[in-house]
Amino acid sequence: MTLVQTRGAPPAAHRSGVPGRIRIISGITVASLALLFAALAVGSSSARDGLRIIGRDAGPQVVATAGLYLALSDMDAQVANAIVMGDAYPGQRRDALARYTQRRGEANTALLKAFELSSDNQAERMTVQSVLDGLGQYERLAGQALLLDERAAHAPGPPPAEVVRTYRAATDLMRLVLLPQAYNLTLESGTIVRSTYDDKALMVPLVRVAVVLAGLIALGCLIWLQVFLARRFRRVFGPALLVATIATAVALVFGVNVLGQDEEALRTAKGAGFDSVLTLAKARAISNSMQGDQSRYLLDKERADTYEHTYLDKSLSIIYFEAGNLRTYHSEVGKGSKDFFGMLGPELVGKEGQDVFRAYRTFQATDQRFRGLVASGRTNDAVDERLKAVTTAFTAYDEALMALAERHQSVFKRAIDTGEGALDRLWGLLPYAIGAIGLLVIAGVWPRLKEYR
Amino acid sequence: MKRVLAVVLVLAAAVVAGCGMGGQESILDKERLVIGVRSDLPSVGFRKPDGTYDGFDVDVARYIGLKLGKDFTFLGVLAADREKVLGNGRADLVVATFTIDQERKTRVLFAGPYHISYQDILTRQGETISNVRDLEGRRICEVKGSNAAQRVVDEREVAAQVVPFPDYKQCLAALKSKQVDAVTTNDVILAGLAAQDGSGLRLANTQFNEQRTGVGLAKGDVPGCEAVNRAITAMYQDGTAAKLLSKWFGTSGLKFGTIAVPQFEGCS
Repeated sequence: MTLVQTRGAPPAAHRSGVPGRIRIISGITVASLALLFAALAVGSSSARDGLRIIGRDAGPQVVATAGLYLALSDMDAQVANAIVMGDAYPGQRRDALARYTQRRGEANTALLKAFELSSDNQAERMTVQSVLDGLGQYERLAGQALLLDERAAHAPGPPPAEVVRTYRAATDLMRLVLLPQAYNLTLESGTIVRSTYDDKALMVPLVRVAVVLAGLIALGCLIWLQVFLARRFRRVFGPALLVATIATAVALVFGVNVLGQDEEALRTAKGAGFDSVLTLAKARAISNSMQGDQSRYLLDKERADTYEHTYLDKSLSIIYFEAGNLRTYHSEVGKGSKDFFGMLGPELVGKEGQDVFRAYRTFQATDQRFRGLVASGRTNDAVDERLKAVTTAFTAYDEALMALAERHQSVFKRAIDTGEGALDRLWGLLPYAIGAIGLLVIAGVWPRLKEYR
Repeated sequence: MKRVLAVVLVLAAAVVAGCGMGGQESILDKERLVIGVRSDLPSVGFRKPDGTYDGFDVDVARYIGLKLGKDFTFLGVLAADREKVLGNGRADLVVATFTIDQERKTRVLFAGPYHISYQDILTRQGETISNVRDLEGRRICEVKGSNAAQRVVDEREVAAQVVPFPDYKQCLAALKSKQVDAVTTNDVILAGLAAQDGSGLRLANTQFNEQRTGVGLAKGDVPGCEAVNRAITAMYQDGTAAKLLSKWFGTSGLKFGTIAVPQFEGCS
């Protein structure tokens, strides 16, 4: 009796156990699918976050703040130019003042943009605010200096002491207070990109591994489910589950591929794009203040040594040759050796890079002539050299720098666009994949469960 | 799923901690910092008889240490030690009138500058030297380990006679006994010396060679450098920098035209 009962029991237990096991295996399968899609969501939103911060916030912030620096620095250079012209260059003086006004407008636009992009960074906002405040004061001082200078009606070269004093107050405010803040804003964007990148360069590959693992588990579960059903119900094919398996495999390969593309996009955007864009923006900023130092050197006799030294110091930071003084530096640059370091050291590659180096050498050669004229007391010729040959050479150098920066900027933009495009496609397809795979699993399992009702 | 995510996060954290900086440890990962400060410069970085340090640099170092949220101790260094202590890891930061230049930048990572100083000239009262050009043909003192006097000759190309002395104390004695006519170096150092001396030596306030004084870190510690830069920005924005400058140099005869956050070198 007991024997019969125990004999009869297994089939009953077995019968009620099958739907339970189907439910359990299906549950595990669904959970592993959920894990896969969760990992994909985490990975892709992390990558998107990185692309957004680097590509849409910090990247444009570098451009905006570098533009701010250039506009401010050029305002001060134009004031210095107008003052050293004296009464001999009325047309050029008008041009310089027009350019001053134009730069003032550009500075305003850049400030607004920088403020907008600084969003919730309190220190950055304070800095922008402080530049805004200082700029008003600068304009007042520069206006006074220009007015005094016009009244003085002096010959080209250094103006009367009163003008020098007023201009000093203006230029000190610009060079010691406003420009450093603009420059530090640019650097701060670099910091944000660096830390975001370090974060993502670590996170995205890890999540990618997690996606692969979760995907393999999900595929394993789907196959397990099918093998189980095939054995229990003596059906070789469950078309719905088969399609679900293929869809999962496709989603897995596609997802891993997109995360890989984003990793690459972040790396390219940072390494081949952003880093160079930042360095070249810094180099342009410093170079622009160098040409201002040339006019200030001419304008303020008492501080000529200081301005010559800052000019040398900035030159050394851009392209470094061992040189204890400007004369040696000029001759080292003149030799044209490519064996240098400094900010532009690693940047001057390719055709655009060589153009920059050539233009820089020409610019330094005009500086040498210009200083020679000042030293030999030919002030009129020095002013003329500064306004013509030196300015032409500087503009050519600045344009060459810009062309080089443009190349990196487009690499940067392309990388960000590629990364975001891949994510868009992934995010566009994911909901359908999740829905379809879910329905297919249900379609594969439901009829089998129904057989037990 | 939560468990797997947790495992992933733990893995991530382990990797962040382990090689977040390509194997090099950042000052940000340390709990205690050793900060190198000068021990020989009154008002800048000076070791007092009781073994504690004070001066402008020391206060700046304290501010940075606090901003970084670290415990710290000071290590007294002389000019020649500054690179060494960073290289051999005896100090994590060096705040010791460490002037940034391109050559040094190949071996040291500089945060800041936290202060822009200028080369200046200290003379006797009643002396007419007011500009670097006035040093032509005059005798100027050079302290061992400092290239400031030589820079007048090499960089400014002013034909002054450089007379070597082992330290600033003897330099000042020579100035007062008219063995030399001027002492030239970093203005804050001169201001500190003049204030300590108290016999009315005169600072020319001619700002001729701009010197950017930075915070030295081990090369490669970019996150540490960026954090120090943020601390320096805060030091200027909250008014501490102005307070410290007037605390240490307010009565020294050193003129501060403008006190504003300097243009940073950049950490990369």
